[in-house]
Amino acid sequence: MAKRRVLGMPRPLLAGVLFFTVFLFVAGFLVGPMGRSMFGDLGLPAWLSLPHPEFKLPAETVFHIFGFPVANSIIGAWITMFVLICLSYVITRRMKVVPGRLQSAFEFLLGWLCGFCQRVAGEENGRRFFPIVTTIFLFVAFNAWLSLIPGFGSIFITNAEGEHVHLLRGANTDINMPLALALISFVFVEYFGLKSLGLRYLGKFFNAGQFFRSIGHIVRGRLRAGLGGLFTGFIYIFVGLLETLSEMVRIVSFTFRLFGNMTAGEILLLIAAFLIPWVFALPFYGLELLVGFVQALIFAGLTLVFLTMAVTHHGNEPA
Amino acid sequence: MEGLAGLGINVPTLLAQIVNVAILLVVLYFVAYKPVMRMLDERSRRVKDSLEQADAIKEQAARAGEEVKKQLAIASKEGQKRIDQAVQAGEGIKEKAKQSARQEAEALITRARSEIQRERDEAISELRKEVADLTIAAAEKVIDRSLDKEAHRELIAKIMEESDALKKE
Repeated sequence: MAKRRVLGMPRPLLAGVLFFTVFLFVAGFLVGPMGRSMFGDLGLPAWLSLPHPEFKLPAETVFHIFGFPVANSIIGAWITMFVLICLSYVITRRMKVVPGRLQSAFEFLLGWLCGFCQRVAGEENGRRFFPIVTTIFLFVAFNAWLSLIPGFGSIFITNAEGEHVHLLRGANTDINMPLALALISFVFVEYFGLKSLGLRYLGKFFNAGQFFRSIGHIVRGRLRAGLGGLFTGFIYIFVGLLETLSEMVRIVSFTFRLFGNMTAGEILLLIAAFLIPWVFALPFYGLELLVGFVQALIFAGLTLVFLTMAVTHHGNEPA
Repeated sequence: MEGLAGLGINVPTLLAQIVNVAILLVVLYFVAYKPVMRMLDERSRRVKDSLEQADAIKEQAARAGEEVKKQLAIASKEGQKRIDQAVQAGEGIKEKAKQSARQEAEALITRARSEIQRERDEAISELRKEVADLTIAAAEKVIDRSLDKEAHRELIAKIMEESDALKKE
């Protein structure tokens, strides 16, 4: 008799897994706060349920090095760096022209990102932007995924002030990391803009040439040309101010987009696990895996686009 | 500033994270990006090289095939020429053999004829001699006396000569 397989499992096994999942779900529902408020306390053991999650936006300080406070998000960032660097080192230590599995996967990832950069920014510029864009992508994605590892948020430590704090925290859920990334992205955008276009790049922000030329016209008595140009000059100055403002706003939007998404995901998981313990949080785990990838791609992609815009010469500006 | 602190922004952590990302960028540049890009470039170069090489080899093979075809054509033409020559030579030899056979036959015939002629001449002269003897004998009988043999022979020879001369005229 041919055994029918569903989802790669023989039917009895699948039924068992389904039954177990449903059982866990029901048990979690009954033991969680939602079930308790509906059916009252059924006398289930207390270790089945979780305490109410407390989420603090500022990262807690775990210890001090020479008086420098080390927050748990910094440790999270260190772990991400460690993992990324070790992984890269192990893979690239002995590169082969005919790659093994791990090397192919790594090369595929970097090749994909490089192709992405080159499609957006062009062959030459894509190569130049590739390291910064890839670093942002890898850091954000791996940091998000590493903080999803079960147990990551469950290690507590008592710090010097006697507080009971988390040892680890995803760096993206502490606003300092998104802000740091946004600032780095900003610095690189301005750097590449200045490097490619020289002082002309600044003309995008301080565009007063037309204004002063018009004043010159007026002084020399050409009133009509002068007044018309004066108005345009005002508009140019105003546009320059807007450009400057949008450059600043980028930092804020970068910061809060990443911070908000990651923090919300963290809180969502905590709340889901609190309301209905056990299996209920699983779909949200999957969702958070996707969110981590998407946020990394957005952060890296937007940085890439801003870099590309910065090095592109705008033809409509007065030279 | 109170609000920012409430969000968790504080300068030491911010600086630490900036430094972290910078370190990560620099280290990954040397550990990951540079070797991987070099490898990718190397591989794409090799692929390009081998494609070019394959093209060159294909072209060479095509050229070689063409060459072989040309050589074959030349060889077959050459062979045809040789065959024609041989046929011609054979034809010539046959012709020559025929001719020499005919010549030989003619020579043979000629010789045979001259032989016959000679034999006939001989026979005729023999006959003549016989006839002369017989005639003498008959004449002896008729005249019943023997002429002087010598005079006789002379006479006969004279007659013969005359008759020969007559015949020749």
